[in-house]
Amino acid sequence: MAPSADPPPETNGASSSKEPLTLYEVSTQYKHWRFSAAQLEERRRRMNEVAVNAIRQVHEAEEEGSSCRISFLTFDEELLLVKQYLTTIPKMCKLHQFPEEVEATAMSFLKRFYLKNTVMDWHPRNVMLTAIYLATKTTNNPMAIDQYVANIPRTTANDVLELEFLVAQSLNFQLAVWGAHRAAWGIWLDLQTLPEWNKEAAQGAYAVADEYVSVSRLTDAEFIYAPSQIAAAAWHLADPALLEKWLAAKGESGALPLIKTIASLIEKEGKAPNLAVAKDVDARLRICKNPEKVEGSKAYLRRQAEQQEEATAKRQKKAERAAKALADDPFASVPIDGAEQNGTKIGEFDMDDDD
Amino acid sequence: MDVAERENLEAMRRWTKEAKIGEGTFAVVYRGRQVSTGRPVAIKKIKVGQFKDGLDMTAIREVKFLQELKHPNVIELLDVYSNKSNLNLVLEFLDSDLEMIIKDRNHVFKPADIKSWMAMTCRGLEFCHRNWILHRDLKPNNLLLAANGELKIADFGLARDFTDPGSKMTCQVITRWYRPPELFFGARAYGTGVDMWSVGCIFAELMLRVPYMAGETDLEQLKVIFRALGSPTEETWPGHTKLPDYVDLGRVPKPPMQDLFTAASQPALDLLQKFLLYDPLKRISAKDALHHKYLTSLPHPTHPSKLPKSGQPMKARPLPPDELDGKGAAVTGQGATKKRKSSTMGEDGPRKVARKLEFN
Repeated sequence: MAPSADPPPETNGASSSKEPLTLYEVSTQYKHWRFSAAQLEERRRRMNEVAVNAIRQVHEAEEEGSSCRISFLTFDEELLLVKQYLTTIPKMCKLHQFPEEVEATAMSFLKRFYLKNTVMDWHPRNVMLTAIYLATKTTNNPMAIDQYVANIPRTTANDVLELEFLVAQSLNFQLAVWGAHRAAWGIWLDLQTLPEWNKEAAQGAYAVADEYVSVSRLTDAEFIYAPSQIAAAAWHLADPALLEKWLAAKGESGALPLIKTIASLIEKEGKAPNLAVAKDVDARLRICKNPEKVEGSKAYLRRQAEQQEEATAKRQKKAERAAKALADDPFASVPIDGAEQNGTKIGEFDMDDDD
Repeated sequence: MDVAERENLEAMRRWTKEAKIGEGTFAVVYRGRQVSTGRPVAIKKIKVGQFKDGLDMTAIREVKFLQELKHPNVIELLDVYSNKSNLNLVLEFLDSDLEMIIKDRNHVFKPADIKSWMAMTCRGLEFCHRNWILHRDLKPNNLLLAANGELKIADFGLARDFTDPGSKMTCQVITRWYRPPELFFGARAYGTGVDMWSVGCIFAELMLRVPYMAGETDLEQLKVIFRALGSPTEETWPGHTKLPDYVDLGRVPKPPMQDLFTAASQPALDLLQKFLLYDPLKRISAKDALHHKYLTSLPHPTHPSKLPKSGQPMKARPLPPDELDGKGAAVTGQGATKKRKSSTMGEDGPRKVARKLEFN
């Protein structure tokens, strides 16, 4: 079990002790997706501020003074809405009979996504569907997209796929997720090595602990604590005496206060938000969402046109450069050398926009 | 601009592409540089837009595992960024691969050279396995060599983790000549042993300078294996006849290995046989191989900087599998290599990984 609950993030996992790093400590999850509760709040607050200001400006550009009529979402309302959609993921996974790995990973993806993005830009319903689909692939449970959307009302393959890149990018392409369910299973196996244990009671406790692990996914626990710590907290909620016995056997009784802290976080935050409140937030979101991201809106079309123009200019520049190279030396292969070895015809240019 | 978008743009600006050094159907590799330091890198651009099911599994596996694996003997992923519908992986730049060295007849390998490559391979692989990751496509061509001689395991496009016992895995992995018998017999639950078999084949190839067991079809491959190692028995491999695709190919006796590996030392032969044990559970692990007397006894392995180097710079490398539907079964083995292509491979077609059994 990782010794401290709240290491300074971005330390590259370098602990002061000489002990070798655990596998978890060299993971991208540990290195890039751990925060203190205060850092999380600060991050969300700032992101919300920046988003609101940006959207205000878009509105003002269209019609001066129009933005003050809009009631924007606050950062905790955003969080509430994300949470609402987090509760949908297990249902969606059940519908498709995906393993728990997919569910856990998709929920982590959705939460990580909204540490980088605001719901006013990207609606959590769509992001959720993409997060699940991406999670099926990263956990090696791939499914054809047509089959995936067949069971989801009012959703096309394109709705899911068009956000896939954005989601992967927001995750910094760090796709490995360590879930607490696996640690909970590890504790279950480990308990069986205790000298005295009551199999039936422990089995019952495991089922309950697993439930607590599930609801812990609605909380920020995974950003703050290690999976093994969360799993221990879930077990403690299920059977405190058993877990404490196990801790003692491991010589880790000192972790108990921390485990209790996590347990109370799970109990307090691990529930679905009030549906009526979530619906209200969702309704307001319809008005305050970023018009640049609303397909067909004036602002959206303007942004699209701008991007189009940029790309055209870039492509033109590239073609000119290639033409010039050819004029300078008619036997030149291509501006990027080496391609002729691979059968690219002379004078045939790679017209990608990004080289 | 969104945070994610801005971060991506920053990543993109850290690197420049210079020359195209390889091209496959769905990916292009460029030599490039880090803008701030001039450090050479390889940038693998994966074209993503054309897949029906979005980001393809090969790209996802490679990114996922390389993000987590940081080890001197595993290729380093330095950065990832996207552009339009392209995914760009920035990798450390490596000059050559073990296949090129093996084929370069100008080199004579000293036993200590082979030991050095084996040690580095086992070290990198032990790290992967410790992280619960199976490579599933080890072969000389995927063991890259840095300018300083260090060996790095590359190409994680077929890798997967094996943390969940009981999860079914595909047996259509690993290039045929390096594929263990249990996969030909359709084993759907397997572990690190599959990679260790490949290491054994590579070890033999380093000594022989030609692929050790090169079958032209899957069935032929099994026969080649049995001729080389004798056919398995209930004693050497308990339960193998119960595997789903088991075929009885008759009895072949085991020929003495030293007849073929005349120059190999006793510890070398012992380790080779432990890599190539039929029973996957008895096959030596990477960790145990590192402690085997072959690696701990004299001569010491050659220092990487003193190892034989490839004469010419690496040209186009064949690029990873072109999986069409993310199911890992898109490419059949009908193109399986008859003769090994020259090391300056101008291969454009899909990589020769047989992903389907073909008992023809």
